[in-house]
Parts: sequence; structure tokens; C-alpha cells
Amino acid sequence: MVEPGILIMCILVPLLGSFLLPLLGRISAATRNVAALVFVLFSLVASGLMLPGVINGSPMRFYMDLPLGLSIGFLADGLAVFMAMTASLVAAIIVFYSFGYMEHYDNQNEYYLMVVLFIGAMMGLVYSTNLIFIYMFWEISAICCWRLIGFYRTEQVVLRANKAFLITVGGALLMLVGFIAIYIQTGTFDLLELQGRGLDGWILILILFGILSKSATLPLHSWLPDAGVAPSPVTSLLHAAVLVKIGVYVFARLFLLNFQLEVAWQTTIPIIAAVSALVSAGAAIVENDIKRVIAYSTISQLAFILLGLSCGNMIGAAGGLMYILMHSLAKAGLFLCAGIVEHSTHTKDIREMGGLAQRLPITAVAFALCAFSVAGIPPFGGFFAKYLVIAGAYETGYPWLAGVFIIGAVMTVIYLMRVFVKVFFGELTHPDLKEGSWEMIVAVALLGILSLVIGIFINVPSGLINLIVDSIGRW
Amino acid sequence: MPDQFSMLVYSFLGLPLAALVLFNLFGKRVMTKFYMPVGMGICLVQMLSAIVSLVLLSQYNKDAITFSQFWNYQLYEGASYFSPDTFSFLSLLCIGLVGLVTFLVAYPVLPDRRFQFCNVTLVLLLGMNGIALVYDLFSLYVFMEVTALSAFVLIALYRDAKGLEGSFKYLMMSAIASAFILTGLALIFLNTGSLQYDVVQAYLANWQNGPNPVLTQIGFIMLMSGFSIKAGVAPFHGWLPDAYQSAPAPVSIILGGIVTKMAGVYAIIRLVGEWLPGSSVVNVAFMFLGLLSIVLGAMSAIGSTDFKRVLAFSSISQIGYIVLGISSGSPLGFVGAVFHFFNHSVFKSTLFVNSAAVEMQTKTTLIDKLGGLHKQMPVTGTSNILAFLSTAGIPPLAGFWSKLLIIIAVWQAHGGVVAGVALFASIFTAVYFLMVQRKVFFGPCREEWKDVQEAKFSIRLASVLLSCITVGVGCVFPWILRFLGAQGWI
Repeated sequence: MVEPGILIMCILVPLLGSFLLPLLGRISAATRNVAALVFVLFSLVASGLMLPGVINGSPMRFYMDLPLGLSIGFLADGLAVFMAMTASLVAAIIVFYSFGYMEHYDNQNEYYLMVVLFIGAMMGLVYSTNLIFIYMFWEISAICCWRLIGFYRTEQVVLRANKAFLITVGGALLMLVGFIAIYIQTGTFDLLELQGRGLDGWILILILFGILSKSATLPLHSWLPDAGVAPSPVTSLLHAAVLVKIGVYVFARLFLLNFQLEVAWQTTIPIIAAVSALVSAGAAIVENDIKRVIAYSTISQLAFILLGLSCGNMIGAAGGLMYILMHSLAKAGLFLCAGIVEHSTHTKDIREMGGLAQRLPITAVAFALCAFSVAGIPPFGGFFAKYLVIAGAYETGYPWLAGVFIIGAVMTVIYLMRVFVKVFFGELTHPDLKEGSWEMIVAVALLGILSLVIGIFINVPSGLINLIVDSIGRW
Repeated sequence: MPDQFSMLVYSFLGLPLAALVLFNLFGKRVMTKFYMPVGMGICLVQMLSAIVSLVLLSQYNKDAITFSQFWNYQLYEGASYFSPDTFSFLSLLCIGLVGLVTFLVAYPVLPDRRFQFCNVTLVLLLGMNGIALVYDLFSLYVFMEVTALSAFVLIALYRDAKGLEGSFKYLMMSAIASAFILTGLALIFLNTGSLQYDVVQAYLANWQNGPNPVLTQIGFIMLMSGFSIKAGVAPFHGWLPDAYQSAPAPVSIILGGIVTKMAGVYAIIRLVGEWLPGSSVVNVAFMFLGLLSIVLGAMSAIGSTDFKRVLAFSSISQIGYIVLGISSGSPLGFVGAVFHFFNHSVFKSTLFVNSAAVEMQTKTTLIDKLGGLHKQMPVTGTSNILAFLSTAGIPPLAGFWSKLLIIIAVWQAHGGVVAGVALFASIFTAVYFLMVQRKVFFGPCREEWKDVQEAKFSIRLASVLLSCITVGVGCVFPWILRFLGAQGWI
């Protein structure tokens, strides 16, 4: 076994470092901002350093036994490293973007504290191999999410933050009931010991409540569009790139790598996903608030991920995982572009915007690139993911399921193009606009370019994803 | 174990007594400056002695330290004596901690009543320490009355209508409880001839074959009802919100933090948890009481409009978890309940300290009148979040772990439905937490609170200290678990 120091550091540096940030903020804002970025980048680099171990087949592992079937266990296997790298990469870009976006707001110390703490919780969650610790990090992320959504502190904002908190914590409590049920039946919370077991239907339903509420899938999705009241980098971080992926990640961790999913569920969950995809895509088509459109789009795209992961074959699973990466990059880009637009025009209503491409050229291009990726236009990254997911759905033996999701994909194209055309083309409504600050521009440009480049060099992520899918023994 | 060790144990009773004598010997004029510092000092010493005793107990592998203050208990049969064990010392630690915090808060809040406050609070501490130390039910009852009486006086410290009303309600219910307890004790004494813990325990293990099983049963039921009233377990909780709400701010801290727990829950843990773990009837009864308290307390808290009243109902709900843990009848449930006992002292004291801070700065605790205080009172607001999250059982804070132990134990004893309901009821805790936090600390700042200052230093110190304990215990809990596992307690 390799010395797991780097694995522990990867979790603890952002987790504990975040509490230094308010102190650093007293010295100078610049020091704090740089430190925040460094902590997040540290996780990215540390996760990258653990890749060789994954490829060699000797993943890093830390283990400490505790009574009651508990254990402090961390394992850097392919899925964990993949997820950690995706999350910390996107988070680092978002933190960088925040330098420009958050400059003029109060409570920045709290903002950076919560963002970095959130990333720390994310790292802890992806590497944990114990159900109770997964739950623990899950709730830490909920607390951060609650404070970040309620960042502006007005009555309505706080109410919506509370709504998000209650729905996700309520789901998580039901999930915890499920975890304890697993413990009562098996005597352990340790995932590695639970490998390959079946799961009672009612336990699965309890756990699904947690996953669906966190990943904002119908019928527990309603907190996500409302949470758009948060600052744009927060929306981007939480609702596009990282937070909502926690749910699907745990789904992958539990039901791809550990528990056997019964055949009946391999139809039921895709149907839930299908309903979620269509309903939210419909909502996205009629919404006029730019952030709500993108938020509904997130719900719709999450359904694709859930479909890929739950359809019970290799192609779908690989597609679902790849979708997590592609969607994180592209959707983060879309939210950040929306942030620039909102920042400059002081409105979120797309009916009041037009012709912004003349004033915000780089933002417009970045938005287009990200939108192409989300819509699944080749050769953007999103295309490969979407193709694999739909192919996986076809493999299940229910071709109509694939058909439904193709309709969903078409709707995605419609609402994204609608937003793009309304906002960036047509008659110029805000003649005296300026582009966002350089940090913001660089961030969105980077995300747009990454969405394209990763599609061209698709063999890089797919190599890792193949490793993960191969490790699922049963197919 | 060295003999000098028992000197430590004397300090729990000796120090408050000595301080009382000193205070009154020299009178108000000389001592005014020293009241609060002496009170804090006594509490600090108590915490230290409790910690040292705990360490020594585990070092020497002993269950309890047996001693008597004024006579040689081995010479006379049935003589009462003290015999604190691990749980006692843990309670003494909680008493010291909450007492310290109370004095810290009282220092700025009650500048005009220091003489009365300190005297009565010392009697209160004495009473609670006695409860933790004694080894027979009658002495337990005596110290319970000492505790209750001084609590009545403290609630009505200002002799205003509100305080007197709360105090009167408490007095009435407590008197009924005392009558129950005393009758119950008499009926048990009838059969056993002694009320020492080991004798009663041995008798209760085999009561069906005793001389008067029916009377024993009646006696036991009366005893349990009396303790439940004192603990404020639903449906015996009517007095509790009024007493907590109408008490002066520092008094609510000690009431909510420790008094009702020592006066009621402590005895329930002893009797049901230690002596009757196998009795299914008692366990099922307490399971229902616990569940009812959890749900009813949380629901009532959601409907309350006063900060302190929310906290009072929240206490009922949390005591429900302790009782529920006890009702599981397993060692795990016992450990969980004792641990929740400790955690509840810490986080509920934090919340009452914060309500005291808010009350002192704004002169009101009505949550609809408050708003937007987080900006002016960041320390209070933040520690409030931590304490509430611990109450709601959100990891990694301490409250989560004790709740987890309780839930697992309850699941093993009573099945998944009870455990699931108890766990999911945490969402109600989250609801009233969010409500209070939104109305008091977040939201737009109201015009009249624009100039509110952060609380005084000693109050801030108290809430920071308690928050650190909540976070710290939560973070080192895996190691506590290891220790508990190594000791074979879970």
C-alpha cells in the first residue's frame, strides 16, 4: 500500500484551510483570494498525483477501524479521482472568476470560507468509503450551500436558501435512515465490505430520496431554480458543476460499484429520469429568467446522467460518467456567462436583452461554445457523453426510452438557442455595456475552450472512464 | 487508588458550602466585587476535579469512588454515603461547565442582583452536585428538592409578575412530582427496607417475587411519573416553557442547560437505564414518551414566537431523544443517552447564552420584532448556527454522533419505524432553527436595531467556549468511539 499522506492532505487542506481564509482576509483581500485558489488547486493537483496509482491498479487507501461498523476510510479509486478532478478543476475556475465578480460585495470572507469548505467537503465525500462519512460530508456541503444561496441576506433570498436546505437535508435524513437500515442488516457501514450485496427495495427508495433531492431530480427539484437568487459563481458552483453532481456521484458509487441494482429498478429509475428530463426541459423553454432557464436545463441534463448510470450496461455507465465531466464544464460556463450578462445589464429577464454580442463578444462566444457542448453538437465534449447515454438506454431493450431522451435532447437545443439568440442577437438594448472584468472573461473563455478541446481529445477522459467501468465486475 | 483522591470529591460539596458561608459572613459591602469571580472559580475547579476524577477512574479501572462526608458508613447499616461513578462525574462536569457559563453571562446581565443571584446559584449547584454524588434514593430526593427550591427563587429573582407566574407553575408541578416521588419511595422502602441503589436495583431485578408486587408496581409508576414531570417529558411538560421563558436570562441558561436534566433525566437514566434495562414494559412506555416528546416538542417550537420559548420546546424535544435512547435498554443506547445528555447541556446552553445576548442588546426576545442582527452580532449569530446545527444532528457536530448512537440502539430494540420517525423528526428541528435564524439574525436589518452592539465580552467568551466544545467533540468523536469501544461500553 502506498503512503496515503497525499490523499489525506487532498481532503484536509481545503477543509481546514477554509477556516484560515477569514483571518487572511483581515490582512488583505488579495492574500485571501490567492489562498482560496491555492487550496482548491491543491486538491486538483493532489488528485492528479493519485492518478498513476489508479492506472497501475494500486489505488491509495487510508483506513482506520472504529467500533459499530464505522471506519474512517478513504480510497482513491478511479471513480473518486475522476470526480475529484472534475470538481476541483471547475471549482478552481469558478473561484478565479469570483475574484472579479465578488469584488464589490460585503461578507467576502464568509463567501470564500464557504466555497473552499464546500470543496473540502466534496473531496471528503468522493474519497470516503464509509456510509456515515459520506453522509457527514454530504451535510457539510448542505450547510455551505445554505449559506451561499442566502449570501445576499434579503428576506426572500434567505427563505429560498432555507427551502434548499430543508429539501436536501430532508432527503439526506431519509437516506441516513436507509444507511442505518443497511447497518442493521449487515453490521457495517463500510462500503468495501458491502461490495456486491443486494439491497431491499425500501432501503433503495430511502437512499434515492437523498440522491434525487441533492441532484434536483423530479419531484424533489424545486429548490434548484429558486436557488438562482444566489451570486452567479455560487449558482455555477453549486447548481451546475459540483453540488448537484454529489447525488449522481453517490448513485454511481453505491449502485455501480457496490450494491447490485435489481432489474426492476433499472427500468423504474430511467422512467423517473425521463419524466424529469422532459418536464424540466419544457419549463426551460417557457422561462424568461436567464438563470432559471439554465437551472431547469441542469435538472434536465441531470436526468441524462441518472439515465446513463441506472440503465445497467457498460455503455450507459460510461456515458453517465463522461456526462458528469462534460456537463460540469459546460454548465459552469453557461452560468458564469449568465453572471457576466447579469452583472452588466442588471437584469435577468431575457426579454429585456438583445444584441449583447456587439458589446460582450467574448462572453457571447464562450456562451455559444458551452451551449453547443450542453446541446450535444459534435465535436464538443457533450456530444460524446450524450451519444453514449442514449446508446446505453437503447441497449436496455426499451428503444422508446432512448426516443424520449432524444426528444429531451432536441428540446435542449431549442431552449439554449432561444436564450442565445434573444440575449446576444437582435437589436442592441444596452448600448453602454462593458465586458466583465478580465478574471471573469478568462474564466468563461477557459470553460468554453475546454468544452471544445476535451471533445477533440476525447480519448483522454475516456481512458480513465474505461478503467472505472472495467472495475465494475459484473458486466 | 491514592486516598488523597477522595479529597477531590469533597470539593464538589465543600467548595460551594464554603463560598456560601464566606459570602454571608462578610456581607454585601465587602464581597460585592468577589461574587462572580468566586462563582466562576468554583465552577472551574469543579470542572477540573471532574475531569481529573474521570481520568483517575479509568486509570485505576474502578467503577466508582465510595466515601462519606461525616461518618464511617461501613459501621452503620443503611447509612447513606456518596458513590459517584463515571456518569456522575460526567454530570458534574456538565454542571461545572454550565455553571461557569451562567456566571459569565450573569456578570454583565445582572449587575444589581449579584448578592441574591450568587447565593442562590451556589445552593443550586450544591443541590445538583448532591444529586450526582449520592448513592441512595432518599438523599437523591433531598438534593432534588434543594435544586428545585433554589430554581424557584432564581426564576422569580426580579419578583415581577412574569417571573412569579413561571416560578409558581414550576413550584406547583414540582410539588406534585415530589408527592409522587415520595410516595413511590415509601412504597419501595416498604418492600426493601433500604433505598440504597444496589439494594433497590437487586430488588427491582426480581420484584415479582417480592412481598408486595402490586405496591411495588404502583410505587415504581409514581416514581417514574414524578421524575418525568421534573424532566419535562411530554405530556408532563406544561410548566417547562413558561418557567424557561420567564426566568432572567442567566437563569434560563442554567435551567435549560442542566437543572431539569439533573432533577429529572438523571434519575430516569439511573433507574431505567441502569437498573431495569431488560424490562420491556418500562422500555416501551418510555419509548412512547420519548417519541411524543420529540415530535410534540419540535412541533410546538415551530409554532412559538419567542426565542426563549423556542429553545424551551426544543429542550423537550431533545430530552425526548435522551429518554428514547434509554428506552432501548442496551448499553449502546445508554452510552448514546449519556452522551446526548452532555451534548444537550453544551448546545442548549449556547443557545440560551445567545438568547441572553440578544435580550441584553435589544431588550426583547420576540422573534418577529428582531431581524438582521447577524451583521452587528457576528459572534453570537455564528455560534447560534453551530449550536442549532448540533441540535438538529447535522454532522460533524457533536449532536449528530450522540443521535446516531441513540438511533442505532433504538432500531435494534424497537425496530426501524420508531428509529426512522425519530431520525426524520430532526427535520422539524431544522425547520425551527431556520425560522429563528432567518427572523433574528438574517434578513434585512430593521431600523431600530441599526445601532445594536455585539454582546459584552464575557457573554461572547461563553458562547465561543461552548461552540468550540461542540465542534471539537464532534471532530474528535471517532477517537472517543475508539475509547468507548476499547472500554467495552459499546
